[in-house]
Amino acid sequence: MKKEPISEETEKSFKTHEPEIIRLIQARSEAGRLVMAEEVYAELLRMGILGEDKNTFVEFDAFLKMMVAQNEDLNEIKDGKGVPYYYSTRSMVETYAQLIVRRGQDPYVLMAEVVRENSQRYPRPVPVDLFGDSPFNLTREEISACLKELASLKEYQDIQQTTTSVGNVFLYSRQYLNPDYAAMLAEWLDVGQSNNP
Amino acid sequence: MAKQGGWAGKVLRVDLSTGRISTENTVEKYRDYLGGTGIGYKVIWDEVPPGTKPFDPGNKIIFGVGPLAGTGAPCNGRTAITTLWPTCWPKPLVASGHMGGQFAAGLKYAGYDAIIIQGKADHPVWLSIMDKKVEIKDARHLWGQGIRRTTIEINQQMGPEASVAAIGQAGENLVPMSVVMNSYSHSAGGVGAVMGSKNLKAIGVVGTGSVYIAGNKEEWEKVIKLHLSLLGANNQHVVPNKPQPWAEYYNPGTRWVAAKGNKWGAAQPPIDTGPCDPHDLNRIAYRTNNAAFFLGNRAWKYTIRGNGCTGCPIRCHTMLKVPSVATKYGIPEVGQNTCVGLNFGRFFFKSFPDGAIGETAIEACMVGMHLADDLGVWCNYGQLQRDFIKIYYEGIIKNKLGEAEFKTYSWDKYEKGDPSFLFELLPRIANKEGELGTALGLGSGYMLERWGIPEQEWKKDYNLLYWKMGHPKHHSNEDAGQCGVVINTIYNRDAQCHSHANFTRNGLPIDVQKRLAAEVWGSADAVDAVGAYTPMNVYKAKMAKWTLLRKELHDCLSLCNWQGPWVASPLKERGYRGDDSIESLLYSIATGDKKSRQELDEVAERIHLLHRALTIRDMGTKEMRTQHDTIPDWVLVDKAGRPPFTKGTIHMDKADLEKGMEMFYKELGWDEKTGAPLAKTYRKFGLGYVVGDLEKKGLIP
Repeated sequence: MKKEPISEETEKSFKTHEPEIIRLIQARSEAGRLVMAEEVYAELLRMGILGEDKNTFVEFDAFLKMMVAQNEDLNEIKDGKGVPYYYSTRSMVETYAQLIVRRGQDPYVLMAEVVRENSQRYPRPVPVDLFGDSPFNLTREEISACLKELASLKEYQDIQQTTTSVGNVFLYSRQYLNPDYAAMLAEWLDVGQSNNP
Repeated sequence: MAKQGGWAGKVLRVDLSTGRISTENTVEKYRDYLGGTGIGYKVIWDEVPPGTKPFDPGNKIIFGVGPLAGTGAPCNGRTAITTLWPTCWPKPLVASGHMGGQFAAGLKYAGYDAIIIQGKADHPVWLSIMDKKVEIKDARHLWGQGIRRTTIEINQQMGPEASVAAIGQAGENLVPMSVVMNSYSHSAGGVGAVMGSKNLKAIGVVGTGSVYIAGNKEEWEKVIKLHLSLLGANNQHVVPNKPQPWAEYYNPGTRWVAAKGNKWGAAQPPIDTGPCDPHDLNRIAYRTNNAAFFLGNRAWKYTIRGNGCTGCPIRCHTMLKVPSVATKYGIPEVGQNTCVGLNFGRFFFKSFPDGAIGETAIEACMVGMHLADDLGVWCNYGQLQRDFIKIYYEGIIKNKLGEAEFKTYSWDKYEKGDPSFLFELLPRIANKEGELGTALGLGSGYMLERWGIPEQEWKKDYNLLYWKMGHPKHHSNEDAGQCGVVINTIYNRDAQCHSHANFTRNGLPIDVQKRLAAEVWGSADAVDAVGAYTPMNVYKAKMAKWTLLRKELHDCLSLCNWQGPWVASPLKERGYRGDDSIESLLYSIATGDKKSRQELDEVAERIHLLHRALTIRDMGTKEMRTQHDTIPDWVLVDKAGRPPFTKGTIHMDKADLEKGMEMFYKELGWDEKTGAPLAKTYRKFGLGYVVGDLEKKGLIP
């Protein structure tokens, strides 16, 4: 969507509040969260830094985009629907920001993608409990539902499970790891490393 | 004479037979050997003739620290204790144990780089070092006491600031599987009984001096800050174990377990370890919680904080408060240790009623730490516990013990995973009580010999992780393929080497590890992903040489090889590079003796070469490749019958390992056929003096 142009005077006025805006984005990033332009705008209004009559959100949105583009420490990331989010690269890396925006997808899709990435890159299987931690924050029930969904869909048949000798379940992609290798790596991560300190 | 930087300047020599106490100039006599194991090997070469036995008065025990001990360099708390090793089978050879804690710094501040203990006192004594005032004191009232009480009594005499390295009943009773321990939980295994054989109960040290830094103060501060910035969590794991906002990578296997919501629950008030951004150098100590790493999330609520050595922000000894053990077992509710020390009690059991990391497992850890760290029993890197499980479940104990003795143990308790069983077992090991206690206290090699079990039986069993000469593997093929295997062949005890494992376990993806490997060892092919091994190549040999030399260097400088080297870092902006010259930077500024990375590695090579010469001299053979540098069968066997280099197996190929040994020997200038160093190699590194002696005995190839 094309943004309305922003007047020099408005830009100048917003610019005086740059430090507060940066601090706000940074605080969210430190807490492991992204922030939308609407949230920054609402917070500045709440703090009394912006006056609602004088500064429209459309103008603020345009300014924020510009500001982020010019600031090395800030970054924009869009979710699957093209909605922009902002974060501070001083406190958050792009890979983490991506995990957050990808939460908008069906959780089983994200789970499968993460499993494939791990199997391909490190390479390693991942413990299913990982998806209960931030930034995934799935409940046990949601994780179970995801696993059922993955097992039922043709395009996710590469996502497999292996159970370690102490009963923990790990997930891997057969596209990148064969079952023997995945089982060995899961055992190494879950049991082997602590038994060989 | 100009004031010397780094070194304290004196080596203390204490003759317990005569009571004579003297000092020698460190720099004049030992500068080429740096400190730590370097001084230890030199003293053993010069002064302990071949054929001496560990408990002979003629054996010497050298507590050596290095020029970085007691400085502001991170991770500088290690004391190396070198002697003839009582658990080295079938013939005791030179080896060293290493303890952290506050002893190393205390010794330096008192003005000493090492203590050479020789002879044997005619009654139990302890050594009091208060700066220049060194006294041999009567320890008859301490004999029979555990390490805790001994430490307290000596602290009452010397003051709370004294660092006390003491032995327990195991050391007194000449149990080879015994430790010396300082600062509550920092032990060196294998040497307790050597102290006991000299009637030496403890060494207490108070130092009021300081270590002079020869170089520019600003440069020194800069290097310290650089070093701190490169630190990861324990074992130099440089990525967190789960996703964090600041972390590009995560790895569920790392010891970087801090995270928002993970709290030291027994601290008052509880402390949230938080996300622990690596740039926050004031929170390095929050990253590691080894109780949580080994025992799972349940351990957080029992955690008070981390504890550790002088100058080390890692704090790898996790302090736990478990109130239930006070009422259940009558032991203190607070305990601390790391790795195998933390798991000492737990590792004896095959299972527990509430699972491998349930409440009972935590209780077993607490009971094990309480007993072992007071009695001074050593675990030989978990071999004691693995041996025990095997000999019990395979019926060997029942066969070897008389029925009367067998019945004195509550085996039902043991099988049920009841930690109170440890009260029956560990004191009997420390007191050499009965056949079982005596045999276990000998260490694997001598226990097998006593019971007529061929060592080969142990070498076949993968679950035992036994390597050779009475000792287990320590980061072998499971961590680093051929490099790990080669390193495990070299020493006269378990290798205790972490240079390679601290890299391969650092948590970075394999493509990043390969990029760093190419920079450090010349090719990405130097490293493989774990369990996806490829055939031997020259870069793996170069990595193995580096691995060995860095371990030796750390042991001589007093840097911690459980934490270093630092070739990777948690810093994205550095491309996860560490700095392989950090040791030489620190050494050069501290001592004023400017040495490049390569030059300092050459000193480490000289020191290790002396270890090799000592091993050859005392074994009386140059056939190291076949007689010493051996590889157990389990390394070569895959239970599922998969060929070597198949993804998913860590077992190795015999011919490839033979080639690997040859390449490694070649890198070091050793004869490829025998594995013994060549005369020209000894001379190249300034060890011409060993050549004559070895040549006379036909020990030079």
